[in-house]
Amino acid sequence: MAGERSGEDIVSEYLGQNPQLAHWVESLRGYCETNKQWVARREFILRNMEAFPTVDPGVPSSSLDRLLSLSMVWANHVFLGCSYPQAVMDKIKEMGEGVVVEDAPVHRTTIGGLAKAKRSATAESDADSCAKRAKCGPNELDGRPAGRTAAWPGGQKSGPPPQAPAEHQPFFNRLYKAVAWKLVSAGGFGPNLDHFEILRSCVESCKETLACVFVPLKDIAGLPAGRTQKEGHVCEIRCQSVYMGTGYGRDEGAAKAMASKEALKVFQGRKVTVKICRRRFKGRDVEDLVLLDEQPRSQGFPPALSYPFQDEQLEDGSS
Amino acid sequence: MGVPAFFRWLSRKYASIIVHCVEEKGKECNGVRIPVDTTKPNPNEVEFDNLYLDMNGIIHPCTHPEDKAAPKNEDEMMVAIFEYIDRLFNIVRPRRVLYMAIDGVAPRAKMNQQRSRRFRASKEGVELVDEKNRIREEILARGGYLPPEEIKERFDSNCITPGTEFMDNLAKCLRYYVADRVSNDPGWRNVTVFLSDASVPGEGEHKIMDYIRRQRAQPNHDPNTHHCLCGADADLIMLGLATHEPNFTIIREEFKPNKPRPCALCGQIGHEIKDCQGTAREKQGEHDEFADSMPVSEQEFIFIRLCVLREYLARELTMASLPFPFDFERSIDDWVFMCFFVGNDFLPHLPSLEIREGAIDRLVNIYKDVVHKTGGYLTENGFVNLERVELIMQAVGVAEDNIFKKRKEDDEGFKRRMKEKRKRMKIEQRGPAYMTTGQFAPQALGRRDRPEAVQNARHQAYDMRMQSREQHNKDAAQSLKASLKNGGNSSAGPSDSTDSKGLKRKADDSDSEPEPEDNVRLWEEGWKQRYYKTKFDVDVTDEDFRRKVVKSYVEGLCWVLRYYYQGCASWKWYFPFHYAPFASDFKDIKGMFTEFEKGTKPFKPLEQLMGVFPAASGNFLPPTWRSLMSSPDSSIIDFYPDDFAIDLNGKKYAWQGVALLPFVDERRLRAALADVYPDLTPEEVKRNSLGSDVLFLGKSHPLFDFIQELYRTESLEGTEIPAELCHGIQGTLNLDDDPILPDKPVTSPIPMLRDISQNSAIGVKFKDPHYADDFVFKAVLLSGAKMPNKVLKPGDWERGNREPWRPQLGFNPNRQQAHLDQSGFRALGHNMNRNQHGRGQYSNAPPPGNYQQGNYRQHSGGQQSYQHSRQNSLLGAPPPFQQPQFPRQQQHQYGSGGHGWDRAQQSQQSAYQQNVNRGRGGAGQGSYQQRFDNRRDDWHDRRDNRGQQHQGYSSGRGYPPPPPSRRYNWK
Repeated sequence: MAGERSGEDIVSEYLGQNPQLAHWVESLRGYCETNKQWVARREFILRNMEAFPTVDPGVPSSSLDRLLSLSMVWANHVFLGCSYPQAVMDKIKEMGEGVVVEDAPVHRTTIGGLAKAKRSATAESDADSCAKRAKCGPNELDGRPAGRTAAWPGGQKSGPPPQAPAEHQPFFNRLYKAVAWKLVSAGGFGPNLDHFEILRSCVESCKETLACVFVPLKDIAGLPAGRTQKEGHVCEIRCQSVYMGTGYGRDEGAAKAMASKEALKVFQGRKVTVKICRRRFKGRDVEDLVLLDEQPRSQGFPPALSYPFQDEQLEDGSS
Repeated sequence: MGVPAFFRWLSRKYASIIVHCVEEKGKECNGVRIPVDTTKPNPNEVEFDNLYLDMNGIIHPCTHPEDKAAPKNEDEMMVAIFEYIDRLFNIVRPRRVLYMAIDGVAPRAKMNQQRSRRFRASKEGVELVDEKNRIREEILARGGYLPPEEIKERFDSNCITPGTEFMDNLAKCLRYYVADRVSNDPGWRNVTVFLSDASVPGEGEHKIMDYIRRQRAQPNHDPNTHHCLCGADADLIMLGLATHEPNFTIIREEFKPNKPRPCALCGQIGHEIKDCQGTAREKQGEHDEFADSMPVSEQEFIFIRLCVLREYLARELTMASLPFPFDFERSIDDWVFMCFFVGNDFLPHLPSLEIREGAIDRLVNIYKDVVHKTGGYLTENGFVNLERVELIMQAVGVAEDNIFKKRKEDDEGFKRRMKEKRKRMKIEQRGPAYMTTGQFAPQALGRRDRPEAVQNARHQAYDMRMQSREQHNKDAAQSLKASLKNGGNSSAGPSDSTDSKGLKRKADDSDSEPEPEDNVRLWEEGWKQRYYKTKFDVDVTDEDFRRKVVKSYVEGLCWVLRYYYQGCASWKWYFPFHYAPFASDFKDIKGMFTEFEKGTKPFKPLEQLMGVFPAASGNFLPPTWRSLMSSPDSSIIDFYPDDFAIDLNGKKYAWQGVALLPFVDERRLRAALADVYPDLTPEEVKRNSLGSDVLFLGKSHPLFDFIQELYRTESLEGTEIPAELCHGIQGTLNLDDDPILPDKPVTSPIPMLRDISQNSAIGVKFKDPHYADDFVFKAVLLSGAKMPNKVLKPGDWERGNREPWRPQLGFNPNRQQAHLDQSGFRALGHNMNRNQHGRGQYSNAPPPGNYQQGNYRQHSGGQQSYQHSRQNSLLGAPPPFQQPQFPRQQQHQYGSGGHGWDRAQQSQQSAYQQNVNRGRGGAGQGSYQQRFDNRRDDWHDRRDNRGQQHQGYSSGRGYPPPPPSRRYNWK
């Protein structure tokens, strides 16, 4: 499966060689399906034909109907935002592996509740937890690493302990591999991916979670004078309290996407390293845990939006 | 179309079409209800021939009412439906025909809407329960007080769908009901009753239309029949106009928008569930005597006179100097057609046409502009001329851009005004600072209760000074009080402080409710592109797809119009998208539609259930059918998502939004069902079959002997009705398999109602007159039709007449105005005044409204128990168990606690009571539950019960001494 460039090209090539099959499969198209939806569903059907050995192209059968039904479940989930009982969802998640839909629509199933945003075909069903996590404010964020820092020798001045990079390195080695495979199956790093989704699913496959902090641009003091734009949001992404990237966008979602893209760029090198670096935070220089690739940095880091290594004393003093 | 906005718009613009109903209420004498004699002339000063009931409009409010307690069980629901029909019959008093039509299996075009409604109902139900539980916990944690949760099984309104057991039962009950009334009620004696139950395919109102259409097209039809159609749907108005009958009236419940609904959590009115604070209940009236009465009066009915609407339309649509002769009847058909653009049950409405923004006026103006160019009318007998429609659409399309911009402006203006209004209201609530209170409070002039002399003025002044300070304490005190009530299970200490904090924050928040994001932004450049991208997920360049949508919409318009004028053209057709195209996209539509597929068949009832139910309502289906809705191996699992997205589509509330549900693939549905058909029980097979309309009439009807003769000769083939025996009504009669026959007792399907031993009704299968497949029903006035008198003020009245114009208020132009003479006013004043003093509300004079009539819909309450006990003793029933007279309880007669079984019995008992009132004897034995004493309960518990909403207590003044016998004591 890995290494497929574009599912659509392969499918049309395959169908070009099998005109009879192409004719048959075209008869399965729904009247109201758009080209985009149909191309994706067609790929889904063709990819899963093997799993339904009793399906005989051109002959109506109940196993064909079952395949069609599951393809509709998958398409309804991706394009309409429907969800189904868990057993069904698990099944189509497995079957839909590898079918890539770019720029799928975003729907919400709960009015007034959290936006259940999502719809990347390769991503899994647990959409709302992602939205929740993305929304979590600095409070919750501070809470999480705090539990971790408690294990470290306290009482010293703020900043990560010197052995921290070594502690975090194994995790990021694993993450590096996960990201590399994910990007391969998504057709390589590029501008048209859902970067956040990729990063999130990789991090979660390594049993960790991402932490995003959002700050409105206008709340950031000391911006370069040339920056006239005062609208928009900035997002900072950390994992295991290690800084991964910062992004700016018109709204929080866009900022998050940019930050994920920046973070994924780090994974383009031959390896990733966790290091302690000096950054600006609230106008002070602090020591922060940062994820780096092996290339030398031409410029410094963007100022930190959050700082998980600070003890109370210092915070009280500074505020 | 289920758009309340349409009716509101219509009744505002054409105010004279509304006439309020005069309803003669049954009188009660010594607890015995005297039925109204409906053979008397109609008090509305008009006589109706035919009454048609769109039964689903009756079933829904009777089974899950919004403004009163829900019936406890199915039997009560049936009785409620019977009563509702009785009420309508009493108001309308039809002299020839009563036609009851329950929705049967609907055309596919409608099924998508039904599906969406049922999925939503299910989803909303789940979400409401979740939210309730969440907020309940929150409130209890803060120390608020809430009445304990009621244990009741939720009535799943989804069972009001053809094919369910409930509908089957309902049909049986209605047969019994009709037989009973025809046998026993003099007003029904000469009426021909048609019952078209859920086993007959078609929507209720369209079955009615089919009946009217097919009667009209046969030569014996009386062209001056006065029709009255009952139902609240706005499309009944369209349907009525489409018949071209001169005398057509619609009756519906009065439209009362924004009625306050009690909070689902604490049952108090005045806030929504999300704002519930769990504060103690406020007393209703000085001694809480209104606690169990509904603050609103019983729903009143109104008539909508379509002949008056026709007058209005004639003024609006009449055009001079046309290139072709003007025909008013044809222009009405065009008007009806244009209303479909704005909303109907089968198509989403065009984004640019919003009824609230005067879309119909806009369309009419465009129509009058364009009609010169079109060279004729848009429609004929329900067939659409697409070339001409395109001209209208293009004219709308030109304005689209401006419409969207204006909509945005209006919307923002509205928001601004609302914000200002809220601000103002906040200030006004406090009253101006100079407003005096207490004894010095301003008094309205001319009231009976004059202010008394001022006492202790100094103290009063002090109070007024302290008042503002107290206001703050009050909020805290209220929550403290409530937390005390909750018993010791909350930490009362910090609760009040957090409470008031919570209050404050809420109030601030309400100013800026979060708005859903609108990605389409129709008011900004590039709206069309964004619309197609977000709604259909296609690029605007995808011309093919756009044509597809437009083509489907054009087919839809043709289908809907045909449906209204000729009946269902195709049971299969439906609009396969969730959104409509823009008016400007209707280009070159002339060739887009030719004809519908012929010979399509409706679904079977159980098949339709599979098509419209969510998996959560699967309990109405046989097990193997049900498993198709949830099993991963089902070949139709994709029809049943357990959650789905709702696109608000620019609207504010979820119910206005578009439910993004997948469409049902008919082929796959039928294929999957073929495997499980053998699993049906004989009973289910019967429910799944198509039924027939049934006709009932009584002994004194001229047709009676004819039908009886049919049964005697056991004639097997259909027989035509002799026109002269039944007011020119035609149709084919077939013998019923399990008929209602005279002198054959009818057993009651409802335990609390008696069997009919002296039956004099007869029932027989009825089929509407048959016409050839290609027959076209003409949309014209019939020859011999006499137009009713004009009601509107003629435009040239001032010029021609001396006297001032007297507007007509009812049906009769020469109506006698009612008046009160002096003694009448005296009597009125006397009674009113007594009530105003607030003591003994119910003591002697009957209350003016409708509460506490002892009819079964009422809540339980101390007062009611008094009435019942008296009635019972009069009728010789055993007196109720008596509460021991605690000294403290002499003032307050507590109703028993709000436990389900207790109330259930009570209402059942009152239903018995009704039976008694109808003079059928057989008084119920059970009145013991009214006031039994829970001695096991300690005093605290009882105190808790007092505040609960469902019982209330009333001041005991004026109660007779309780009957002494049969005390009941718990050991």
